[in-house]
Amino acid sequence: METVVETAPAETSEDGVVESRRDGQNKFTLAPGDSLEGKLIYSGSVNVQGRAEGEFRVSGNFEVAAGASVKALIDGTNVTIRGDAEGTLTARDKLTLGKSGKFNGDVTVKRLQIEDGASLNGHVRMGSFEQSSSS
Amino acid sequence: MLGPRDRLIGELYIEGNLRVSGTLEGQIEATGDVDVTEAATVKASVAGREVNVSGQVNGAVVASKKLVIGRSGSVVGDVRVPRLVMQDGATLSGKVSMGPQVAASPLAISETPIEESTQAAPVSDGDGQEKQKGRRR
Repeated sequence: METVVETAPAETSEDGVVESRRDGQNKFTLAPGDSLEGKLIYSGSVNVQGRAEGEFRVSGNFEVAAGASVKALIDGTNVTIRGDAEGTLTARDKLTLGKSGKFNGDVTVKRLQIEDGASLNGHVRMGSFEQSSSS
Repeated sequence: MLGPRDRLIGELYIEGNLRVSGTLEGQIEATGDVDVTEAATVKASVAGREVNVSGQVNGAVVASKKLVIGRSGSVVGDVRVPRLVMQDGATLSGKVSMGPQVAASPLAISETPIEESTQAAPVSDGDGQEKQKGRRR
């Protein structure tokens, strides 16, 4: 498994991962060409540019970049999809489906924004998160 | 055009565009664009080419071209559209089906609007099969 874990605010950046500095939050980046299979529980934000499969529970934001492919259970505060994703998705705050984003599966979110050109197939549930367990 | 104090209960079929600001219950279908303004309350299935929702819609929405849900808009019901735009603040609850095969379905119903609900069933079945095929791949 070739993954890049950045636990400290990044000073070294090989391929433009400079953003990690913002809010001093932890950030996990899966670069293009990297792949991850399994379960990840992460305190911080995750950015997937490669291929990921499994279960991702993230306290911060989860981002699927354009060109990335994710097949997973995703749970995050803000979720942004610009690549290809399928599975079950929970965004405690907001889900953004970008122009090139594709999602197949069920979605539970508080806020939802879909840009023209994005594609979504599945059930959408919206509301506040009193009971965070999504069916 | 249905003004803010106007109310329609029943089935409406329109050749052209429709703008709803009042209350509407039943079924609406337009060959052109359907605009549901902020003041409108629609408890109906809505079919049109391009559907814009800034008010409340309770019912299934089928658009042959595009559905736009504005920041004050709310849709509760199943949505079948080839393109979907949702602005931040908009609400949507229901099943969303998107794909190129969806585009052909709504206007096929238009000739017999009264039987829309019974005719809609085989259309969605066909779609379901296509989806299953997609999953098997």
